Amino acid sequence: MDGYPLGSLDHNVPLIVVSGLSSDPPDQPAKAKGQGVLLRSDLPPLEGKEANFLESFFEEVDERGKSWTVVTREEHFRLRVKTVGRTFVLPSRRATLPETIEPLTTSPILHSPFSPLSPSSALYPDGLMNAQWIKKHQEEIPSIFVCFHTLTSDSKISVQQDNRLKSALNGMRATLVESGYKTRLVVIILGDAEAKTNLTAEIIQDRLEGVRRGTGLDPKSIFYIPPQESPSELRRVMDSIFALLYNTAIEYYRDLGRHARKKRSRGIVPQPTLPPTSGTSQTLSLPDWNFRYDFKSAIFAEFRQEIDAAIRSFEQAYEILLGQDVLDIIPSWSPRWNEARLLADIISIRCLRLHLWMGQTSLAVRRWQSHRDRISDFVDRRGRGTNNYGWQAWESRWAMVMANMIEMVEVPGLGPSTMTIFLQPEKALFGERLQPWELLHHTGYWYRIAARHLGARRTLAHRIPDDDRGAPDASPASRVASKAIRYDTYMCPPPHEEYPLNGNGINHAQLMIDCLLNARGQFQARKQHRIAAEISLECAREMATLGSWNEVLAMLRPLWEDKSFRSEWWLDISEDILWVMRRAAAETGRADIVVAIDWELMNERFTRRKNWHYDLAKSLDGVSSTSRPFITISDDVASSFISTSFAFRSKEGRAGETCVAQLSLKSEALQAAAPVTLSSIRVEFEGHLKPITLIHDSDLPPSSSESPVSVTPVALTEQLEGDAKESDEIEKEDKNDEDEDEDKAKDEGEAEDKDDEKEGQLTGKCDLTLRPGHRQVFEMNIPLREPGQASAFRVVLTYKTDTFELDYTLSLSESGKVTGWFVQGATKPRLSRPDGHILHIQPRPPKMKLRLVEPLGQFYANEPIPLRIGLYNEEDDSANVKLDIRIVGKVIPRFRVDAGEHKREVDTAEEESQVTGLALGHIASSSSLELSIHLDPAPAPTAYEIQIRADYHLESDAATPIVQVLPIHLNIVNAFEANYDLMPRLHPDPWPSLFDYEDLQDVSDGDVVQARGLAQQWCLVCHYASFATEDLDVVGLDLAVTAVTPGGRCQVVNQPELSADGMIVAPKTMYEARFGLVAQKITLDDRHPVTIDLAFVVRWRRRRQLADGENNTINVTTMTVGQYMVLGTEPRVLASVLHSSQEQAGLVRLDITIENPSSHFLTFGLVMEPSDAFAFSGSKQTTVHLLPMSRRTKTYRLLPLARGVYIRPGLVVRDKYFQKVLRVIPTEGMKIDKDGLLVWVPPAPEAEEKAEG
Amino acid sequence: MSAAIPSVACLGVIGRNNNPLHISIFPSYDPTANAFTPIRNPLQFSLLLSSTIDVFDLRSKTSTASGDFGLLHAIDDRLAAYGFETNTGVRMVCIVDMRGRRVEAGGSGVSGQGGGAAGASTASSTSASAAAARSSVGSVGAGLRDSEIKPVFRAMQSAYVRLLQNPFYDPDEHAPLGGKGGRRITSKKFGDDMKRIGEAWTPGVTTL
Repeated sequence: MDGYPLGSLDHNVPLIVVSGLSSDPPDQPAKAKGQGVLLRSDLPPLEGKEANFLESFFEEVDERGKSWTVVTREEHFRLRVKTVGRTFVLPSRRATLPETIEPLTTSPILHSPFSPLSPSSALYPDGLMNAQWIKKHQEEIPSIFVCFHTLTSDSKISVQQDNRLKSALNGMRATLVESGYKTRLVVIILGDAEAKTNLTAEIIQDRLEGVRRGTGLDPKSIFYIPPQESPSELRRVMDSIFALLYNTAIEYYRDLGRHARKKRSRGIVPQPTLPPTSGTSQTLSLPDWNFRYDFKSAIFAEFRQEIDAAIRSFEQAYEILLGQDVLDIIPSWSPRWNEARLLADIISIRCLRLHLWMGQTSLAVRRWQSHRDRISDFVDRRGRGTNNYGWQAWESRWAMVMANMIEMVEVPGLGPSTMTIFLQPEKALFGERLQPWELLHHTGYWYRIAARHLGARRTLAHRIPDDDRGAPDASPASRVASKAIRYDTYMCPPPHEEYPLNGNGINHAQLMIDCLLNARGQFQARKQHRIAAEISLECAREMATLGSWNEVLAMLRPLWEDKSFRSEWWLDISEDILWVMRRAAAETGRADIVVAIDWELMNERFTRRKNWHYDLAKSLDGVSSTSRPFITISDDVASSFISTSFAFRSKEGRAGETCVAQLSLKSEALQAAAPVTLSSIRVEFEGHLKPITLIHDSDLPPSSSESPVSVTPVALTEQLEGDAKESDEIEKEDKNDEDEDEDKAKDEGEAEDKDDEKEGQLTGKCDLTLRPGHRQVFEMNIPLREPGQASAFRVVLTYKTDTFELDYTLSLSESGKVTGWFVQGATKPRLSRPDGHILHIQPRPPKMKLRLVEPLGQFYANEPIPLRIGLYNEEDDSANVKLDIRIVGKVIPRFRVDAGEHKREVDTAEEESQVTGLALGHIASSSSLELSIHLDPAPAPTAYEIQIRADYHLESDAATPIVQVLPIHLNIVNAFEANYDLMPRLHPDPWPSLFDYEDLQDVSDGDVVQARGLAQQWCLVCHYASFATEDLDVVGLDLAVTAVTPGGRCQVVNQPELSADGMIVAPKTMYEARFGLVAQKITLDDRHPVTIDLAFVVRWRRRRQLADGENNTINVTTMTVGQYMVLGTEPRVLASVLHSSQEQAGLVRLDITIENPSSHFLTFGLVMEPSDAFAFSGSKQTTVHLLPMSRRTKTYRLLPLARGVYIRPGLVVRDKYFQKVLRVIPTEGMKIDKDGLLVWVPPAPEAEEKAEG
Repeated sequence: MSAAIPSVACLGVIGRNNNPLHISIFPSYDPTANAFTPIRNPLQFSLLLSSTIDVFDLRSKTSTASGDFGLLHAIDDRLAAYGFETNTGVRMVCIVDMRGRRVEAGGSGVSGQGGGAAGASTASSTSASAAAARSSVGSVGAGLRDSEIKPVFRAMQSAYVRLLQNPFYDPDEHAPLGGKGGRRITSKKFGDDMKRIGEAWTPGVTTL
C-alpha cells in the first residue's frame, strides 16, 4: 500500500475540528500569516479534567476514524476529529497568481489552489487529479467546526461572559461565511462546576437562548453539557452529541457532492486562470473534467459512507479514465501517463475496498483481475509493454495491495482463526461460472503471488543491458532519453537504481523473503504446513542468493528435523531441500549436518547429481572445521542408504548353548558412489544378550565381489567386563594381549563371584566394506548366557575418516518386521518370518538330577512320613548346590530335613512351611548326595505339595545360575474305614430294688461311688476295612469310651483279643470286631437317659521290614464311632434265647424280659401264636404287671420242628393301658425283621455230622 | 480471436501415507512463445501436489461424504487444485491451468495446433472436446464449475480400480499399513490412462 500518495487511499470519514480545548501550539499564528482563512476567538481555552477527558476522547474517536473496516449501521458515527486551540486556519479558497507573471489587464478568475486551472497548482495545466485534493477534504476543511465554551455560573460576570461569547461566535460565523466554506459552526457549552447548584434550568435555558439569538445559530447547533458526575457519563453525552453531529456532517458532504454533480451537468470546460505557456500548453478536455467531477462525487459519497453511490461514481470515473478520451491520448512518455495510471490504481483500490465492505469478495477479486488485465492491455498497447521489470514490480505491488487490503478491511470469515482457505462467492454470483481464483483466498496466497512477481522482476532486471545500468550523469544524453522510453518506471526505480552497474540497487531477494515470510505466517496459522514448508524452501533459496547461510540453515533445519517430505517419500522435494541445506551447512561449517545429508543422499532413491563425488570420505572437503568432529546421527533424523536386518536362526535358544544369527547390511547407494568401509558395527540387544561389535579388519579377504549377496561367517570372542574398558584399544593390540586379558578377566570374575551382572561384549573381525547395491551378511554364533527374551534393538555403524568420525544408529526393533535367512548364492532371504530379531532364551537345562530314592508310596494318616531324596550330579563339572524345600498344604506338621551334617527342623505351620538356602556344598561331577525329609504324622487325611528346588552353578561357569526342581505331591488318606452297630443285650444281673436298704451307703465317706442305678448291656459291632493298598498288621483293637453323660458310667466289658503278631488285614476286606459294653446309672433316682461317645482304635503297622532292621513303629488310628443314647425310661421287651444241651433234642428256651424303667405301674399282655414251625410250652395268653423300676421274665420253651432254620415265634407284647404293641428286641442268636422276631435254630448235630460226612 | 480455456496441468495420485503414487504433467499453452510447455517444473508440481494434502486434511474434518472435495484451493490466478478422495484414503488431485489451452473462437483451429506437443494420438478426441469447450466458453465465460472436474476424477478412479484389479499390483507395497512412504505406481497402463485423461479433458467434457 505504501508508494501510493499519502491520503490517497484513506478511508474517508467526516472531519470535525474541535476548538477551545487546548491552547494553540506556538507555530499556529505563524501559519496564519499565509493565505488561509483564520478562525479565531480570544476566549480562553477550556481547562480542567473535563477538557483533558474530552481531548483523550476525541483522540480515541479519531483513531477509530482511521480504521479501514466497514462502517456498519450499528456504529453511530465514524469521524475524524482534529483538536485545535482557539485558532484554526482553513486553506484559502482561491489560489493566488504567481508573482512572476505580468499583471493582467482584466481581473483574473481565480480558482482553487488544487485545481489544474490555477497556475500555482501541481496539476496545472493538464493534470487530472491528485491526492492533495482528497487530503484537503479529509484533513483541512472540517465539515463541522465545534467550539467548546463554558457557561459561567457567577452571576456577576455572566452577562459580560455571555456577551463575549456572542461576539466571538459572531466573528467566527462571519469569517466562515466570508470564506465561502460551508463548514457548520457548532457550539458546545459546558456548565462549570457550580452550575448545578447556582443555576436553575430556566436560567440556563434563558442564557443559552440569549446566546443563540445573539449569534443567529440554529437550535441544532448549540449544545449544553451540564457538569457530569463521571467521565463515563460525559462520554455518553458526547456520544449522543456526535451521533447528532454526524448526521449534520453527512449533510455537509451531501451538499459538496451535489455541487460536484451540478458542475458536471453544466458540461462546460472551465478555462484556466492563465493560459498555459509551457509544455504542450494543453488543457483539460471535457471528459477530463467529467472524470474529475465523478471522482469527486465518489469521494464525497465515500465520506457519507454511501457505498453504492461511491462505487457507481468511481466506476464511471474509471471508465472515463481508461476510455479512449483520457488515458488513450496521454503520451506514454509524459509524467501525466503515470499519474493517470496512479489514479486508475487508486480508483481500483477504493473500488476493491468498497466491494469488500459490501461483502462482495468474489466481485472484488474479479475487479482486481480486470484492473490488472486492462492496465496490462494498456501498457502493452500504449506503454512500454509488460515484459520488463517495471511491470512485474507493479504486478507484485498489485498483489500486495490485495493482501494488505484484506488485512486492513478485516474481511470477515477469512481471519487465521477461522481456518478458512478461501471464501465462497457472495450470493449475487452464486451459480455463476467463476474462476477458481475469484473465490477470495487468504492473504498468504496473495503474498505468494507478490513474491513470485518479485522473482520475475529480478529476472527481468538482471536482463537489463549494462549500458542502461550506468548512472544517468555518466551516460550520454541520448542513452538517458532512450532509457526513459524503454523502461517502465511507474512506481519503481529506473534501471540504474533497480540494478546498477556499481552498488547494490534493489535487494530483490530481501523483498521476496519479506513477502514469503508474511505468506508463511498466514499458511502456518491455518495449518497448511506443507505450503509453509514449500515457502520456507523458497525463502531459503533466496537467502542463499544473499549468502546468509545461517538463516538458510535456521529456515530449513526444522524441515530437515521433522522429516517433512522425506518421511512421505516426496523424493524430489526432499532432495532439493537436502542439497540447499547441505550447501548452507557446508558454508557455515556444520560438519554434522553435512555428513548426515551426504549419508542420506547416497541413497539410490535420489537422482544422481552430475560431477558429485558420492564419497563419504570426501564429505568434509571444503568445510572449514576446527577439530575432527565426532558426529552422531540416527535413522530418525537422516534416513540411511544402508539398510540392516538382524535375524536369529531359530526362535528359541538355551542358555549355555549358542545361537546362529545373521546381521545383514545392504547398501542402497547410488551405483556411482564409492564403497564405504565402516570401521566397526555394534549390535545392541534388549534383554539378556551382550552387545556384539564387529571390527573392520582389512587383512581379512574381502567377500567375493561378484555376487550381490555375500555371507561371511564371523567368529566372536567373548570378553567379560574387566576388559570392556580397553575394548577401544583392543583393535590395536595383538592377539596375545587379548588372550592374557581374557585370562585376567576370568580370574577377576572368580574373585568377584557373586557380582553376576557382567557387561561383557562379543567382538568379531571381518571386512566391513560395502559396495553399492551389495548385501553383506555376517553370520555369527552367539553364546547365550542368561535366560529371557533378547531382541536386536539397534545397530550402530561407525565410520571413521581422517576428517571426522561418524556414528550412525539404526533401529532394528520395529515390531512385526519380517526378516529372513540368507544363504550364499541366493539374493533373497529364505524362511522369512516376522520378529526374526527376537530370540527367546530358555534357561540352561539342568543336568543335576533330583529324585526320590524310593518310589513314592501311599502314606496314611497317623503315620510319620519319611522321604529320601537323592541329588545326582550329572553335569560335567562339580556343582555348588543350595536347596530350598517348600511344603504347601492346609496344616503342615513339623518336619525335619536331614542332609548329612546339615539338619533343619521346622515347626507346625499353617498353609506353607519352608526351608530355604540349605547349602549342600559341592557335589562333584557324577557323584550323588542323599537327604531325607521327615514329616510328622498327619492327624487326618490331607494333601501336601512339596517342592524341592536345587539352585546351583557350576564351578566352571559361576555366571550362569541353574535351577532344578522336584515337585512331590503327597496325598494322605485314612488307612481304615469302619461302620458300627450298637445292639442291646440282656444284662444278667438283677435289677436293684427300690427298697433295698442294705445297699444304702453314706455317700459322703466313699471315695468311689458304686453305681447303683439301672444297668444295661450292649454290644458294639464294628465292621472295619483297610483302605490301604497293601496288607497291614493290626496289632490291637480297642474301644474307647470317650465321653459319658454325668450321672452314668460305661465300661467295655469284653473286646476281641489278638495275637502278639497281630492280624493281617487285607485291603478292601470287611472285618468284624465286637465289644461288650455295660452302661449303668449311678443312682436309681436318675431318670435321664445317658449318652455315650465311643471311639474305635486300631493299632497297626506296616508289614514290610525296614532295611536296617529297625522295628516298624506302631501307628494308632482312632476313628470316632459316634454318640449313642442308652438307659432310656421307656419300657422295653428283650427276648433272649437259650438252646438246650444236645441231649434234650433241640429244645429252645425263649425268655421274654420286660423292663419297666419308668415310675409307672404298667400292665402288658403277652400273646403267643401257635405255629407250624415249632411247638411250645408256656402261657399262650397272659398278662404281666410290672411295678415301677422292675423287670420280669416270661419263659417259653420251644421245640422247633425243623432245624437249621429261623423260626418265627408269633409273640406279641401289648401295653394294656395304651393298647400299643411293643417291639420285641432280639439279643444274641436272634434277629428281627418287619414281621417280627426270628430265632435261629441251630442244625442238629447229626445233620452236621452228615453234612460233614 | 482466440480465448484461453482451462486445461489439465497436472494429475496426481497421493497414497494413504501421503506419499506420491503418480504424477503426470501436461503442457500448457504459452502465448509468448506460442508453444506448449509445462507451466511449472516437476519439482514445483510435486510441491503443489503435496500442498494439497494440507487442504485435504483441513477439509476432512468438516468431511464431505462423497469424497469429492471440489476446489481445494487456487494456487494463483492461473492454477487451481481440485481433489477427490477414495474411501480407501487414496487422494486424487487435478491441477487445472485456467489458461492452459487456446481456442479460436470462430475458426476450427484446435488448441493452437500444438497438438503435437499435447499428443497427436488424441487429436480426434481433443478436437471434439475443444468444440464442446468452445460452446461452453461462448455461453458463459471462462470460469469453471466444480462439477466439470468430476469426469476427470471418475476416469482417474476407474483407472485406479483397473490398476487394483491387476493381481501383480500390491496396494500395501505402495502404502504400507501404518508405515511411512511407499513406492510409486510404475504401471505403464495407468500412466497412459492418466495421460489420456489429462489431454482429453476440457470444460464440458462429460465422459473420458
